[in-house]
Amino acid sequence: MTEYAVIINDLKYCYRGEKEFALDGISLKIPYGEFLVIMGASEAGKSTLSACINGLIPHYMKGKYKGEVIVLGQNIQETNVPAMAENVGIVFQDFEAQLFSTNVELEVAFGPENFAISREEIKKRIDENLEYVGLESFCNRSPFTLSGGQKQKLAIASVLAMCPKILVMDEPTTDLDPISKKGIFDITNKLRLRDDITLIVVEHETEEVLNADRIALIKDGKIFKIGPVRDIFQEVEMLEDLGVMPLGIPKFFKKIDPKPPFPLTIEEGIEKFKNLNLYVSETKYQDMLEQEEASNHAFDTPIIQCENLEYTYPNGVKALKGINLKINQGEMVAIIGQNASGKTTLAKHFNGLLEPTGGNVLVDNKSTKEQGIFKLGQKVGYVFQNPDHQIFSELVYDEVAFGLKLRGIPKEQIDERVSEALVAVGLSGFEKEDPFSLTKSGRQRVAVASILAIQPDVLILDEPTTGLDYQEQRSMMDMVKRLNEAGGTIIFITHHMWVVTEYAKKVFVLKDGQLLLQGNTRDVFSQEKTLEESFLRPPHFVQFSNCLGKTFLSPDEMILCLENGSKS
Amino acid sequence: MTELYLDYNTIMHRLDARTKILIFILNFIAMVLFDHPLYLLPIISLILLQAALAKVWVNIWRIRFLLTVLIITGIFMWNIFASGATHLFWIFDLESLLYSICRTMLIVFMIFSGVILISTTRNEELVLGMIQLGLPYRVGFTISTSLRLVPTIANSIYTVSQAQRSRGLDLESGSIIEKIKKYIPLLIPVFISTIRNTNVFGMALESKGFGAKKDRTFYLNSVMKKLDYFIIIFGVIFVAVSIFLDIQGYGIIPGLSKF
Repeated sequence: MTEYAVIINDLKYCYRGEKEFALDGISLKIPYGEFLVIMGASEAGKSTLSACINGLIPHYMKGKYKGEVIVLGQNIQETNVPAMAENVGIVFQDFEAQLFSTNVELEVAFGPENFAISREEIKKRIDENLEYVGLESFCNRSPFTLSGGQKQKLAIASVLAMCPKILVMDEPTTDLDPISKKGIFDITNKLRLRDDITLIVVEHETEEVLNADRIALIKDGKIFKIGPVRDIFQEVEMLEDLGVMPLGIPKFFKKIDPKPPFPLTIEEGIEKFKNLNLYVSETKYQDMLEQEEASNHAFDTPIIQCENLEYTYPNGVKALKGINLKINQGEMVAIIGQNASGKTTLAKHFNGLLEPTGGNVLVDNKSTKEQGIFKLGQKVGYVFQNPDHQIFSELVYDEVAFGLKLRGIPKEQIDERVSEALVAVGLSGFEKEDPFSLTKSGRQRVAVASILAIQPDVLILDEPTTGLDYQEQRSMMDMVKRLNEAGGTIIFITHHMWVVTEYAKKVFVLKDGQLLLQGNTRDVFSQEKTLEESFLRPPHFVQFSNCLGKTFLSPDEMILCLENGSKS
Repeated sequence: MTELYLDYNTIMHRLDARTKILIFILNFIAMVLFDHPLYLLPIISLILLQAALAKVWVNIWRIRFLLTVLIITGIFMWNIFASGATHLFWIFDLESLLYSICRTMLIVFMIFSGVILISTTRNEELVLGMIQLGLPYRVGFTISTSLRLVPTIANSIYTVSQAQRSRGLDLESGSIIEKIKKYIPLLIPVFISTIRNTNVFGMALESKGFGAKKDRTFYLNSVMKKLDYFIIIFGVIFVAVSIFLDIQGYGIIPGLSKF
C-alpha cells in the first residue's frame, strides 16, 4: 500500500447523452487522514468527482470513462459500489432521499447488516455512532420526524457505522440553517482529528471549512488550484471568479490594504484592525443610521398584515402560534429561522395557499379568506423553493405564459409580458429553449419569470439562493433587488445569512412558530445571542463588526465609516 | 412527510410480522369464497376487531375518499357483470345487487386488512417477515420500498399542486376532459421529482453495501410467541371451516348468473 488513500490519474468522464466532459483530466493524490475540501462553481464537476471515489461512477452512472481512480490500493473500475461501501462512505446533499428506514436505530443498522456483521456488534456500532453525532436520545424516533440537521447527522452516523476509511460528503449542509451547518462541521472536525479516516467534502460555505487541510478548486472539470486552506483563502478575487464565496474578513482587509497576508478569522481580524490603528467614526456611524431610518420611513402603506395568526396542520401539528406582523408596500424583507420553524408555512398564508386556523391575514386590508388563492395569486406571487416542482413545459415561453393563459389574457399581451419577465430575469432570447436543459439557476430564473409575468405587487421567494453557487446567488439577488427598486414588495426566505445582511432591509426571525425578533436588519443582526436561540449566526464579517461594538452589514459600509489614527 | 406506520404499542403491533402477513392472506381467502354478503359478516367482524385492537382508525380516515369512491362505483359496477331473476330497476336485480355488495365488501375490507398490516408493522419487520416466510430478500425489499414510496409521492403531489395553484391553476372547475388536461402540469413535475428521488435512493442504497454479500444480518430479531401460534391456528381453522361451507354449497346467491 502507498501513503495515499486516493490516487486519481488523468480522470476524464462524460455522462451518457452529454457532449462535454464533466471531468476533464483530473489528477489528484489524497494522503491518509487528510481533510480535503472540493470547491467550485455550479456544474464545475465537484459532485461528479466525489461520485468517482466510491465507484458510483462508472458503475451506477454509466458514461465515457478514461483514466484511473485508485482507492486504498484498489482500482475502482475493477470493483463495484456495494463492495466499496465498507471502505468508502458517502453522504448526499438530499437528506430526505437517502434515509429509508422507519427508525433511527434501523437506519444505522442497515449498512452493517449488508455486510453480515453480528447482531451484538451492530448494536455496539449503533450506540457508538449515534452518540458520536449526538443523536443517542433519538434511537426509536422515525427519521421523518427529525429536523434537517438531525437527518443529515443520522446520514453520517449510518455511514460511519460501516467503519469506512474514507468519508465523502457531497454538499452535506446546503439545505441547513447556520447552526445545523455548524453541527455537521463540528462532526467533521472531530473526524479530522482521527487519523484513521480521510475526509473529502464538497462544500460551498467557506466559513465552515477553515479547519480543513487543503482545498481543491475545480473549474470546468479540471483542478484549477489546490493548496493549504490558508493560502487559498488569501486569494479573494480568484475565489470570486471561480464562483466561490470569499471569507468576509480577508475581503474587508483587502479593500483597506491590498497587500497580503490577510487575516482570515474573526480573532485575527480584530487583532489586525487594532494593529492598523483603525477605528469607527461615531459621527459617520450615526449619520449612516439616520439615513437608514429616513429611508425606512418612506414605506408606510401596509400590504400584508398578520393578526394573531395561528395555523395547525390537519395532523394536529401547530406550526404557527400567534404571529403579529406588518409588511409595507415597497419593502424588501427576509424571513429567517431554523429548519421547520414555520417560515414556509407563514409565507404560504400571504398568497392564500394556507388559510389561518386562528387569527387573520390581511392583504391590501382584506382578509385572505375572502379573496381566495386565484385572486390573491394576481397580487402576491410565490416562487417555490425547488423550480422542478413547477416546471412542466417544453418551452421556456410556455412555462412563463402558463399563469397568463390561465387568466385568459389576450395573446399579444402575453407575448409582451413574457418577454418583459424574461428580460427581468436575464433570460431574454431563451423563449424557444427547453427549460429542463437549463442549469439549476436557469430553471430558478424561469420559475421567477413565470411568476413575474403575472405582474404581482408582492413577490415571495422561498430559498431563492439554495443550490446556487456564489456568483449565481449574487446575480439572483441583484435581480431581486432591481425588482424591489422598481417598486415591488419582496419577501424572501433563506438560510444564507450573508444574503440577508446584504439585501434585506427588514428581518423577521421565527422560532417554533413564533416571532423571536423583528426589525431592521442591522438591529436584528446586532443581537447575536438571541439569534443563536433560533439556530442562526451572522456572517463572519458582521460578527467581526459586532465585536468592535458596531453592526456593519457589508465591508463597503464599514469602510465609509472608518478613520485612521488614535481616537483622542 | 407522513408515514402510514403508526408507532403504537398495541397487541396487534406486538404480533410477529409473519402472523400478520398470514392473517392478511387468510382474511382474503375467507372473503373471496362467498358470493352472499351475509357469509362475510363473521370475517368482517373479525377484521373490524383487528382494526379496533390496532387503533388504525386514523389511517382508515385518511383514505375515506378512496373508500367512498370504491363503495359507490363497486355497488354500481358489479351489477353490469352479473344479473339475476328478481329485477328491481335499471341494471339492478336483487341477486346482482347482493353480489355487488359482497364484492364491494371484499375490496373495502381487504383494504382495511392491508391498512392494518401496514399500520402495525414496520417496513423492516415486513421485509423480515416475508423473508422468513420464504421470499427472497430482494423481493421483500422491493415490496417494502414501493410501500415507502407512497408517502413520498403523496408529498410531492401536495407540493407541486400548491406551486401550480399559486400560479392560478384551478383544479376544481371544468368538464372531465378539461380536468384531466389540468393534471398535466402536476404530473410532469411529480414524475420528474420522483425519478430524481429514486435515483438518489438507489445511490444511497448501493453506497451502503446493499447486496454486497450473499448473507445478511437482520438486526431486528423476531420471535413467534404463544399468542402468534394461537392466532394462526385459530385463523387456519376459521378458513378451513369457510372452505368446508363453500364446498357444501353455502354462501351462493340462488338465481345469480355472472358474466
